[in-house]
Amino acid sequence: MSGLVRTADGRLSEVAQGSFGGGFAWAFSRDFKLAWRHPGETMLVIAFFALVASLFPLGVGAEPQLLVRIGPGVIWVCALLAAFLSLPGMFASDYADGSLEQMVLSPHPMAGWTLGKIAAHWTASGLPLTALSPLLALQYGLETDTLAVLAAALALGTPILSLLGAACTALALGARGGGMLLALLALPLFVPVLIFGAGAAEAQASGLSPSPHLSLLGAGLIVAAIALPPAVCAAIRIALD
Amino acid sequence: MNHAFYLWMSYGATALAVLAEIVALRARRARALRLIEEERDLEAQD
Amino acid sequence: MNWFYFASPPTFYRLAGWLAPWFFVVAAVLGAAGVYIGLVEAPTDAQQGEVYRVIFIHVPAAWMSMFLYFVMACYGGVSLTFNTRLAAMMARAIAPTGAMFTFVALWTGSFWGRPTWGTYWVWDARLTSELVLLFLYFGFMALASAFEDPRRGDRASALLALIGLVNLPIIYFSVLWWNTLHQGSSVSFKGTSMHVAMLTGMLLMAFSFWMYSIGTALVRVRAVILERERRSHWVRALAART
Repeated sequence: MSGLVRTADGRLSEVAQGSFGGGFAWAFSRDFKLAWRHPGETMLVIAFFALVASLFPLGVGAEPQLLVRIGPGVIWVCALLAAFLSLPGMFASDYADGSLEQMVLSPHPMAGWTLGKIAAHWTASGLPLTALSPLLALQYGLETDTLAVLAAALALGTPILSLLGAACTALALGARGGGMLLALLALPLFVPVLIFGAGAAEAQASGLSPSPHLSLLGAGLIVAAIALPPAVCAAIRIALD
Repeated sequence: MNHAFYLWMSYGATALAVLAEIVALRARRARALRLIEEERDLEAQD
Repeated sequence: MNWFYFASPPTFYRLAGWLAPWFFVVAAVLGAAGVYIGLVEAPTDAQQGEVYRVIFIHVPAAWMSMFLYFVMACYGGVSLTFNTRLAAMMARAIAPTGAMFTFVALWTGSFWGRPTWGTYWVWDARLTSELVLLFLYFGFMALASAFEDPRRGDRASALLALIGLVNLPIIYFSVLWWNTLHQGSSVSFKGTSMHVAMLTGMLLMAFSFWMYSIGTALVRVRAVILERERRSHWVRALAART
């Protein structure tokens, strides 16, 4: 995209102009295509999710009543951990080969393409997790309505995790301490999402209404989508200085 | 209920924490001064 | 008035060194008075007996844990806005004391909960969010020290502190928003239902902790300044004299 700009000596000149939507679309399609062509990471996220969710019945015993009771929380924790483990991939390769610097220099507003990147990352991690969750919910013997609420909670919560995770990943780019540092930064921030997300499914399972939890998650998603991209941008700038 | 135990554990832990912090502060300052001295000696050798 | 006069490390180093002892003295006096009132003067509680006296440590420590995080985040914000080194150093200096008070709040709360609620720990909203606060402090300290370039650590941890500010209202209002085991607040700006001696003891301890925190922050920032500015002329001269 380009536009006309009046320069200091009064002449009009053509200059590349970016836009929020243009940046979003560009980054989203790029990262989505990359993830589509290299599905390995998404496969790993799904495999990890299913694997860890299988560990719990093996560890605590497969008594159906117990599994139904712990199901929502356990599935949520596994999804959260899987989402967490996929975080480094969001910026790692672009940071390493210098593409991130190039993106910062682009005419597109930074918030646009960072949101595009985060959204694309969510389609490769949070979305598959949400899609797989009903299957795991059946393995835990959850009722259909609980299962539906669990999927809805994950659909609302995993984007928040991607947004929060993006901020933490950007902050920790190139830091010593690697994954452990990222865990220390991200997991405490994930806690409210976990509480409301698992709480929604558990409310449904107990016969209460899950709408307060889901509403809070929805509100949280809106606030996160607005407030966190600037924070991610600031963190990327700090990382590149 | 032996309340004295809980009170001692609470007030005692706080006193210990404060003490530990002050000791750590002095150690940090000493370490900083030592670091400065070491670097000065290293540069004096050049 | 030149507001940035004390933003220069050597000037602030001297000022902090001059001020710090006074804060410790005041903290000690207030603390002694507070502990005396807490353990001796204040009457025995009708329901809890003597063990309620943990409140004189627990509540002030919890207040400080939240207040210090807020101040730390403010210094972080200042350091990002004005790109000053000293504000970032102050944030680093405050963090360990904040973490200490968070730990004390959790620990004393635990030992108060055991005889009164029957358990050392419960995963209710307030305790969980206070525990999260402890992890936020650790995350701040870890991130600040995770880079070769200390300025990068300054900026990253400042941004992290600002992001984590959302946890403070959650802790503060958790007893209001959730059905929790933890007691609701009995002290507010409008007044209190507490006995006068108990309130006095709590306020004395709160001020004592506050003065202590300022003292430790000033002493710690001096050490941070020495570490960070160790290659500069004035630090070399200072160390040679010491």
